[in-house]
Amino acid sequence: MIRTATRYRMLAMFVVPALAVYVAFAVYPLLSSVALSFFDSSGGSSAFVGFGNYVDLFANPATSERFWNALGNNVEFFLIHLVVELPVGLLIAALLTSGRLRRSVAIYRTLLFIPATLSVVIVGFLWRLIINPLWGLVPFPLLGNELTALPTISLMSVWQYVGIPMVFLYTALLAIPEEVVEAARIDGAGGWTTFWRVKFPLIAPQFGLITILTYIWTFNGFDIVYALNGSAPGPNYSTDILGTFFYRSFFGSSGQVADLDLGATVASVIFAIILVTCAAYFWIVQRRLKTYEL
Amino acid sequence: MRFTPAPLAVLAVVGLAVVGCAPASGTGSEDGDTTIVLGTWRTEDAAMWEADIIPAFEKTHPGISVEYAPVDTNDYNAAIQSQIEGGTGPDVIMCRPFDVNRSWIEKGYFDPLDDLDAISAFPETALAAWQGDDGSSYCVPVASVLAGFYYNKAIFDELGLEVPTTQDELIDVLQAIADDGTYTPLALGSADGWQLAYNVLYQIGPNYWHGEDGRLGLIDGTKKLTDPDFVAGFAAFDELKDFLPSGFESISYEDMTQLFTLGKAAILPDGSWQISQVTSTGLDVGVFGAPVAEDGDQRYQQEMADMAFGLNAESANKEAATEFLEWLGTSEFQQLYVNKLPGFFSMGTEPVHYDNALAQEFADLKQGAQLTSRLALDRLSAGQPPLDDEIWRVSQLMYNSGLSPEEAAAELQKGLDSWYTPAS
Repeated sequence: MIRTATRYRMLAMFVVPALAVYVAFAVYPLLSSVALSFFDSSGGSSAFVGFGNYVDLFANPATSERFWNALGNNVEFFLIHLVVELPVGLLIAALLTSGRLRRSVAIYRTLLFIPATLSVVIVGFLWRLIINPLWGLVPFPLLGNELTALPTISLMSVWQYVGIPMVFLYTALLAIPEEVVEAARIDGAGGWTTFWRVKFPLIAPQFGLITILTYIWTFNGFDIVYALNGSAPGPNYSTDILGTFFYRSFFGSSGQVADLDLGATVASVIFAIILVTCAAYFWIVQRRLKTYEL
Repeated sequence: MRFTPAPLAVLAVVGLAVVGCAPASGTGSEDGDTTIVLGTWRTEDAAMWEADIIPAFEKTHPGISVEYAPVDTNDYNAAIQSQIEGGTGPDVIMCRPFDVNRSWIEKGYFDPLDDLDAISAFPETALAAWQGDDGSSYCVPVASVLAGFYYNKAIFDELGLEVPTTQDELIDVLQAIADDGTYTPLALGSADGWQLAYNVLYQIGPNYWHGEDGRLGLIDGTKKLTDPDFVAGFAAFDELKDFLPSGFESISYEDMTQLFTLGKAAILPDGSWQISQVTSTGLDVGVFGAPVAEDGDQRYQQEMADMAFGLNAESANKEAATEFLEWLGTSEFQQLYVNKLPGFFSMGTEPVHYDNALAQEFADLKQGAQLTSRLALDRLSAGQPPLDDEIWRVSQLMYNSGLSPEEAAAELQKGLDSWYTPAS
């Protein structure tokens, strides 16, 4: 029998190393980045300016125009992911579990997941060649037109990551016991009814999870846009999202001198956008989702 | 139950960490030589420096050895800054042109070099990119890049075309190629804004805004982008948009280079750094400079200062480092350097011979022309919105959405006025 004090000491022993690493490499940098956003360090010395950088970011036309544009684009980037990736992922998962593919299920499952394992640079490069007006299949400059550029990039990203919601929903569908489906069939339900009335409610909690993951992922998005269009993504900043806006502010671009305070401010805003929504989601939505005991 | 192993393990881990963090051993070497370290962003040139240039220096300067220490170009600024702040900076530092270097000078990273003979081997325009606000020079220029119009000689011969020297002749030539219909007149796309700005607008425009007069006029506030000279420059740039390949809005820098090297396009506006690339498929390529407005006008040639070396103010080996910097000013070094690296050009006053014929043709463009830097990189982009980025954006809008030269100039000037106070 181990005494309580020893038990706590053991607990501390096991927790402290991981906690120390986490604090040193995640919590501290995060907080110091947020702290940086309250200072103005241009001109050598650092002065506390309160919410000055935030006011600049939201209201000073020189920076706010780009910020609101990037935020709007980011919302569009998220919505396209959600509206396309989720239904397509569901359709594929339903087909994979429908039993109609017989023994080729494993092959399809692997093929559909492969893009998610590719480097984003390769995905960008492949698609850029496919839709290139000079050498590719599409004569229309999809990436060069302000209206089509962002949807095009979003769809490339959807193509790459559709395997993720597919796997989530696929495993959820597999977890449904055969007896439930059988019972429905005996009661006279067809395939369509069985899916929507029986299977769908059982996998519904997955949608909340996928939505919030897509949200986090798209608002932290950066790589596909940067790989295709660089850090000042054109045309006319129509593909600029928060990640690229942050990169440009914090690290500078060819013509732009890096501004650490502004960059930290943008990073803090991105952090807040994700934090608030996730917290709201977990408190309000996730707790109310009905899960069925099977 | 005892936990003695755990503290030991912690000690071991800490010990490892301390060893791992220990600074690399100093610059002294066994044979009594002084070793100087060159900090640069040219990772791709490491082999060339180590095999050719450093041995040439060490042969004539016994007792000094040189270590080439490149950092990837994207990390270079941050790396050098943290090294210098931490007291471990290289003895000789490669200098970025204009604003970045000016901030480094203000932070006291460099010693002034006005007393060096090497500095007097360069004209004022070459030194300008690395001078402080006090007018002193802090870096010895190494190389510049030039902009020009590459042209496919075979296509020009086939269609019986002459190399254009005025804007009207250029438009006629492009029209003739378009009428013939076999080739794309101009290998140019607008997917990369920087390319439109650096290789087209900043190349043609100086002939209208009179090169350095216009550029420095914007900086000291005596000129505005809405002045007729600047608008004329934007208009000349705008005239080329009728001769682009279809789908040009999506055509990137790599695409247009390929279009030209495959022999499908006649003219490619680009930088001298592409010399090896454009001739890689065996094309017979020539180059001409930006056409002037009217026959007999003064010609302006874009020469972009690219690399220079400065002396770390905290260096422990200043004497040896200074000897190295002096050597950079000699034609021995410049001759060696530019011929190892076709596409880069000596900025010195002494003429240098280029073994690469196309490089020599490029260098000849400087004859009789006044040199000028890219328009917006000095001071005008050190605020929000940065003029350079805005020019990328607006030049794309001119080609993609039909923004007029007047509107473009007005929009740019408005952005600049919102934050820039002219330097006196």
